[in-house]
Amino acid sequence: MTTSTLTTTQRIEKEPPAWTRMLDLSDRALAVLLLAPAAILLSLIIVYPVARLAYTSFFSLSLTSGLPAEFVGLENYQLMIEDPVFWETTWNTVLITLITVPGALVVGMGLALLANLPFRTQWPVRLSLLIPWALPLSFAGLIFAWFFHSEYGVVNDVLNRFGIEGVIWFNSPDLAFAAICLTIIWKTSSFMALIILAGLQTIPRSLYEAADVDGAGRLRQFFEITLPLLKPAIVVALIFRTITALQTFDIPYMMTGGGPGTSTATLAMYIHQNTVSFLDLGYGSALAVVMFLLSMCVTVVYLRIIRTKE
Amino acid sequence: MSHVTAEGPASFFSGKPLRFIAATILLVNGMFPALWILFTSLKTEAELTVKPITWFPHAPTVANYMQAFSDQPLHIFLFNSFMVALLSTCTTLLVSVLAAYALARLNLKYRGLILSAIIAVSTFPLVTLLVPLFEIMRALNLLNTWIALILPYTVLSLPVCTLMLVSFFEGIPRDLENAAMIDGCTRLGALFKVVVPLCAPGVFTAGILAFVNAWDEFLLALSFNSNPALRTLPVGIQLYQGEFAFPWPVISAALVVGIVPVAILIVIFQERVVSGLTAGGIKG
Repeated sequence: MTTSTLTTTQRIEKEPPAWTRMLDLSDRALAVLLLAPAAILLSLIIVYPVARLAYTSFFSLSLTSGLPAEFVGLENYQLMIEDPVFWETTWNTVLITLITVPGALVVGMGLALLANLPFRTQWPVRLSLLIPWALPLSFAGLIFAWFFHSEYGVVNDVLNRFGIEGVIWFNSPDLAFAAICLTIIWKTSSFMALIILAGLQTIPRSLYEAADVDGAGRLRQFFEITLPLLKPAIVVALIFRTITALQTFDIPYMMTGGGPGTSTATLAMYIHQNTVSFLDLGYGSALAVVMFLLSMCVTVVYLRIIRTKE
Repeated sequence: MSHVTAEGPASFFSGKPLRFIAATILLVNGMFPALWILFTSLKTEAELTVKPITWFPHAPTVANYMQAFSDQPLHIFLFNSFMVALLSTCTTLLVSVLAAYALARLNLKYRGLILSAIIAVSTFPLVTLLVPLFEIMRALNLLNTWIALILPYTVLSLPVCTLMLVSFFEGIPRDLENAAMIDGCTRLGALFKVVVPLCAPGVFTAGILAFVNAWDEFLLALSFNSNPALRTLPVGIQLYQGEFAFPWPVISAALVVGIVPVAILIVIFQERVVSGLTAGGIKG
């Protein structure tokens, strides 16, 4: 009952008798109305801050000094080029990306192939791929810091059982870096596996049966049927993984805090330190601009790929 | 997903022993870290420092959980995390449902351009916004408020949720809506009375992804909310570390408490989450 009264009043208020024509006319107005909240949010939280970021990077703005912002041109960028920590953290970030992205792909592919076996019950397999995805990165960092604990960690315990002397993981830059990369690969490979698994399940079984008839071996089937058909899904997953790898923060922050020294610090950690700890917003902005440009390169490649697909 | 149960010609290998090994590898890989933290949380400090280390707790105790709640306001961290995640999820869903409807149903001139822009934004590195957002939140006096996190978290999931919902909306026949409009519904009325209910699974899936994204976020929470009363769980967990001491059993207990809510969500809605992740919501 209430709905009918409601609709009649609405009809009187909003809709003239020829409502179909009205609808055509209001399409644009409606679109503007519906897209406005998203547009406002995006411009408030992304577009304006990006503009602000670029702007601030040309200023000397340190909140600790209490001095007003002063235009310094490219001075922040000049400082950056001369700053060894900038180069070290950027190199670490690039290295983490180059190691963990292919690493997660290979491990994820392995997990997906295993998960694609004809199990009678699917949920434990699915769950074991979902749990690492859902675990917060910061939690994964803490858990694996405990794993790699030199005295009571399970990694050294397992090594000891195989007769290998345990090591102090977080005292050596290389070992600490390796521990961080292993953790990132563990955390991100499950998501890769889920994407690849979804791709695997769309490949028609008849293709493999035909290949069997033709006498193609399992390995050849993998390289000539599975891999080419999975390519689109893998490319998209790789691009997203690359962009998130460039932003690596949580896991090294929790596991080593960037140490020993700054040997495992990432660019994101350096941005955070300059902004939140040193309150040097000018320099922090210049660093963030570098990261922005790095990930924009990847995004441009991504958009290219999508365009060519359409 | 679960139709691959028949014995039949297997896709890659077959045979029971292989399946057993595969299942073991998958389960150990996926579950062991969480299980290990659970075991650690049940051990006493004394048992933890025995060498060689024990794997299963000999005398399980819940004392660490009591201590996790008494040493730090863990319930407050949980509450903050939950409210920030819930409120940002609701905002994301509301905004993305409207935008996705416009993109899926209205004949927009710049549809392709808008979609490309959304895809570009979905790859946006949130880390770079740390500086300007910090500046803005500070200027607006929003540091140490929920809003300082809800706004960026909403935007964090907005592109992915919108893209996902566009594809869900496109799957719903227009006739249903037209019928509702002939019956006197307005367009927005048809959206909320016909389209959204039909898309409920899709909207719900988008909601879970947005919730997990917000629950997991660390950097902005760490940077914007330093007040202990407003810390979210990932940030609050750091407070357990003393200057020299690292009370692992208590930290483990706090971690378990933080994992359980999301784990429950994942266990109940696993199929939906998988389909959402693999459909269009591609973000690690």
